[in-house]
Amino acid sequence: MSFLQLHLLNVVIFAPLLFASIVAVLPQAEHGQIRVATLIGMILTFLLALWIYLGFDPSGPEFQFEYRARWIPSLGISLHTGVDGLAVSLVLLTALLGPLVVLASWSFIGERVKEFHFGLLVLQTAMLGAFASLDLILFYVFWEAMLVPMYFIIGVWGSEERVMAAVKFFLFTFIGSLLMLVAILALYFISQPPGARSFDYAQLYNSLLAATREVSACARTGPICSNLSPLAQNLWTYGPWMFLAFAVAFAVKVPMFPVHTWLPDAHVQAPSAGSIILAGVMLKMGTFGFWRYAIPLFPVAARDLRPLLAALSVVGIVYGALMCLAQRDAKRLIAYSSVSHLGFCMLGMLAITQEGAAGSAYQMLNHGISTGALFLLFGMLYERRHVRLIAEYGGLAKVMPIYAAFFLIITFSSIAVPGTNGFVGEFLVLLGTFKSALPLFFGVLAALGVILGPAYMLWMVQRLFFGPLTQPENQRVRDLSLREIATALPLVVLALVMGVLPQPFLNQMAASTRLFVARASLGMAGARVDLRDLEIKVQELRPEPSLSSRPRQPPDVSVPLSRLDRNPLQIATASPDSQASRTLAVDASELEP
Amino acid sequence: MAQMLWLIIALPLGGAFICGIFGRALGRANTNLIACAAVAGSFALSLLAFWAVNDPQTVLVSPFARERLHYALGQDFGTWFAAGTFRVNFGLTVDHLAGVMILVVTGVGFLIHVYSTSYMGSDEGYWRFFAYLNLFIAMMLTLVLADSLPLLFIGWEGVGLCSYLLIGFWYEDAAKAWAGRKAFIVNRIGDFGFLIGMFLLTLWVSAFQAQTDNASGQGRALVQWRAGISEQGPLSFGGLEEAVRRIPPAAAHMADAVSLATPIASGPLSGVTFGQALTVVLLLFMVGAAGKSAQLPLYVWLPDAMAGPTPVSALIHAATMVTAGVYLFSRIGFLLVLSPLAMAVVALVGAATALFSAVIAFAQDDMKKVLAYSTISQLGYMFMAAGLGIFWAAILHLVTHAFFKACLFLGAGSVMHGNAGETDIKRLGGLRKEMPWTWATFFIASVAITGVFPLSGFFSKDAILHGVHEARVAGYEWVSPTVWIIGLCAAFCTAFYIWRLYLLVFEGKRSPDSPVKHAHESEWPMTVPLVVLAALSIIGAVYGIPIISSSAGTQTLMENYLWPVFIVAEQIARIQRTISVEHEGSLWAAWAEAWAIAVAGTALAVFLYRRYFPSKVRIPVPELARAIVRWDRNAFYVDQIYDALIVRPTKFISFVLYKLVDSLLIDTIFVRGTAWVTARTGAALRYLQTGDAQSYAAVMALAVLGAAAYAIIQVLR
Repeated sequence: MSFLQLHLLNVVIFAPLLFASIVAVLPQAEHGQIRVATLIGMILTFLLALWIYLGFDPSGPEFQFEYRARWIPSLGISLHTGVDGLAVSLVLLTALLGPLVVLASWSFIGERVKEFHFGLLVLQTAMLGAFASLDLILFYVFWEAMLVPMYFIIGVWGSEERVMAAVKFFLFTFIGSLLMLVAILALYFISQPPGARSFDYAQLYNSLLAATREVSACARTGPICSNLSPLAQNLWTYGPWMFLAFAVAFAVKVPMFPVHTWLPDAHVQAPSAGSIILAGVMLKMGTFGFWRYAIPLFPVAARDLRPLLAALSVVGIVYGALMCLAQRDAKRLIAYSSVSHLGFCMLGMLAITQEGAAGSAYQMLNHGISTGALFLLFGMLYERRHVRLIAEYGGLAKVMPIYAAFFLIITFSSIAVPGTNGFVGEFLVLLGTFKSALPLFFGVLAALGVILGPAYMLWMVQRLFFGPLTQPENQRVRDLSLREIATALPLVVLALVMGVLPQPFLNQMAASTRLFVARASLGMAGARVDLRDLEIKVQELRPEPSLSSRPRQPPDVSVPLSRLDRNPLQIATASPDSQASRTLAVDASELEP
Repeated sequence: MAQMLWLIIALPLGGAFICGIFGRALGRANTNLIACAAVAGSFALSLLAFWAVNDPQTVLVSPFARERLHYALGQDFGTWFAAGTFRVNFGLTVDHLAGVMILVVTGVGFLIHVYSTSYMGSDEGYWRFFAYLNLFIAMMLTLVLADSLPLLFIGWEGVGLCSYLLIGFWYEDAAKAWAGRKAFIVNRIGDFGFLIGMFLLTLWVSAFQAQTDNASGQGRALVQWRAGISEQGPLSFGGLEEAVRRIPPAAAHMADAVSLATPIASGPLSGVTFGQALTVVLLLFMVGAAGKSAQLPLYVWLPDAMAGPTPVSALIHAATMVTAGVYLFSRIGFLLVLSPLAMAVVALVGAATALFSAVIAFAQDDMKKVLAYSTISQLGYMFMAAGLGIFWAAILHLVTHAFFKACLFLGAGSVMHGNAGETDIKRLGGLRKEMPWTWATFFIASVAITGVFPLSGFFSKDAILHGVHEARVAGYEWVSPTVWIIGLCAAFCTAFYIWRLYLLVFEGKRSPDSPVKHAHESEWPMTVPLVVLAALSIIGAVYGIPIISSSAGTQTLMENYLWPVFIVAEQIARIQRTISVEHEGSLWAAWAEAWAIAVAGTALAVFLYRRYFPSKVRIPVPELARAIVRWDRNAFYVDQIYDALIVRPTKFISFVLYKLVDSLLIDTIFVRGTAWVTARTGAALRYLQTGDAQSYAAVMALAVLGAAAYAIIQVLR
């Protein structure tokens, strides 16, 4: 393998960091150079990410573009990256938003330009890394690394109350992530015997698998479980707490009701670059966390808490939409609409059906595009008028026809008109919810979002664009410049393309979706799953040149299946199609009577 | 031909794209040309398709059964999206029903495009207008040609979207833009029902699939069907039709076969029977249809939709889009006939709407509002027919209504054009001489909608009333006489309000408040479509004359033509014994009744507005009459009631939730409260760490003393 093939994903992750170091050495006053360097870095990252996305083979192994190297071998921490179908899609989304964010702040950010772009690039690396890491410590490092640049972006370049918003954002997320760190450590100690411990996602997951099955089988019989193996006993006792810790961390990020109140403040105060990244990528970090970590690692606990979490999602959908109706501030309205839309993502995931999970994954991308575009577009207006109050506008369609057309198309995407991307996602999420074991009224209540969505979005559109041009300031507002059109057009086009031809995008995520549902339904009563299909097969660490420091082979206790992934042939010969078809049969609705 | 079906949709879609993006650069003449040519091309292709399905050699190989469908052609253009066991394909089908519909949509659509080139001749947003109009045609064709419910839903919402854009076309007038938003949201309330209906129907299909798997008899017969479902998805019309064809009657004692009375064994629907679940699904579809086709209680958006340009009102809010609900129930007629309850509800809602809105139309003074309520009322007729299983009559009325109502609306537009945009009928009058073409066509269309022999409206309305009278819904025998009587009353009202409108606008003397002294007749692009539509309102009658004798008795042309489509529903109804539609019955007596009622309504209008009211000009109107008129003019304050019961409470609740829960409870008490408690705790603990060595020493001394005392006590014990 050539260097690039081996390191392609690493290059994507760390290219922004490389450009950040270039930006760091550029002179402070050379704003143009700094912007161009950042833009080149972001575009390069995007092109490489596109290469990865196109090269990702959904019928291939679960994790691709994998890279694994020693980092802290004594603790079992490795530099392990790789992407599955969902992660590669989110990586592409992140990389796509990167250049657009730079272009969106081209003329808006005039102070501390160097620091701003440095922060953007570091943030980009952290976000890409968090999606691609396959080691829990590595994930945690990237996860926390996201906070710092974002904190500064809100706190330094934000609006009037930026410091309050930045602190609120930081504290909310940080408390969540500390809980997650505790859970990661607990998991590390509980799941594996001393000497063979590792923070590697695959190893942690595989080592829990048999115990999870045991607990799941036992949980069906009654509230008291005895005769469990030691690991299963631990999982039975501490699993719910560990799940809860993960869930809180991710729920804050999503954000789910009732821990969502940091979001409107952060969005309102952040500059539009910050809002775009927050809405477009960072919120997905939460749903991605549930998808990758919380639910597969603790399917039994997830099953027990599913009604609660699903109820909170439904509440989020309706409550978020109602909040939108009460807003007078455009950015706050868009922020609350995120609460509503992310509720759909969570609900689809918690439905644990193929349709729901596919819809949830698709909705993650959709929300990144449509809400990202809404913040982008509103940012352009804000740059012209510097007011966020909707009442300050009106009749803008007359003076800004192109802008109005873009905004309208994105609005339709946001309210899920068929033919735009939003429809496919919402349709699949709702269908999955109806098919799932959740009560039918969950789906019915969630579908209320279909009515409330246009109620608030079209209200905003009406107040911004229609009616007479009353304010004299608005009469002088100019339409989009070429740069701004180039910034917004990709998202507008994508919203339509993903609505008309969703299948190529869904195909990339299909294998991940199937595996997610299969893994999540392990917690379901009566799951007929072959554990070998669920196992995560990843690269082994290559043996170090010196034999003395070679990690000891762990004894095969409590993990009878882990032998399989030690076998390198297994990786090469495992036929992905047969895996796929075997796991296909698992569907939550069939499992719970 | 089948491979070219996509072009029927693609042409107007491409037209919309070109007009929308390059329209301003291309100039007015080119934009007009492109928009009209796109629809004309689509019309030509529709004619070809129509021709093709008339050929008995045209067969469609159904993936769901071994049989071939005659008189239909279709093409599957690949997957739209698929996940799990769910799948939607871009599949288009033309059968006789869709064939009639695409001709109406593209034909009337083309005429209205031509009309608009003149009507919008001085509007600077012409490119936007034609882009939306072309997009609308494309969406409506998608709705009609779709071979599955989700694909139909693209068109269903797409036409709603275009309607939103076109109602608010003159967006600088805030009221017009609000009307667009209202239309969209009310439609969305309907779509909420439609969506849930689709989801439940998916569950229904998978339950059916699971349970017929176990059944011995049906299971084998449905092997092909199952393959078709996995190929085309659970919600394609062919698959649904094939499924319900295999359902044996509930009364038949077939061992382990799945009938409507079989309870669903597993899945989210478990517990209810297949029949009950289907009833719920159909009622949810009725919610959707009520939204789109402006039926009670969701009709409120249509009168406001008259804010749009008049050609839009003619095309979207009279001839095509609003008939989507009727088309939907005709398309899934084979499902509707399985549920007597759903049929009764559909028919009763239609009847109630027909009468209610006809009564509201009495007191409206805005020309377009009268026509809007008239449209709602006529749609009610179509729902009556569809609800009672007389689908062909519903479609016949749909077609003739498209002709005469489009003619009326375009006539109204022509009147507005010639009278400086005046729509108040009290400020018009005496236009007969000044606008001869408009007058003549409006007169013909008024005669047609009244239902006077021998124009098309007579035959289509009579086909409905006659059919309603003869139909019997199992278990709800009282429905059809009720609906029939309401239908007759509504027919009387129709005659009254339309002639009131006609007399006030065209007859008598010009009102002194009239905005212009002399109205001018419109140019040829406006009058030619009027003439064509008026001619069609007459010729359309041909389809309603019972001239074809078949095995099932004498049939009308339309009934015979749509026979291959609706025979399935009829067969199923016969097997399940849900509804019986008599094909016999004394036609002449029914015709005489209808004729008499139409003439009576007309006569009353003529008497009141030509003789009675002119003679009482100076005499004050009694208070009671004025109150009644006031209620009627305000449409019984339904809008205000909705506003008070739904809109305001929702806004209020969201405001209260925002202030109380979000700002106060979560943000202030929990979040800031936590911060406050932390800060207070910190402040309190600060006193423990004073940095004063003496107090530290004192505490230490006390502690040591305590420890010593404890140790001593321990030792002594």
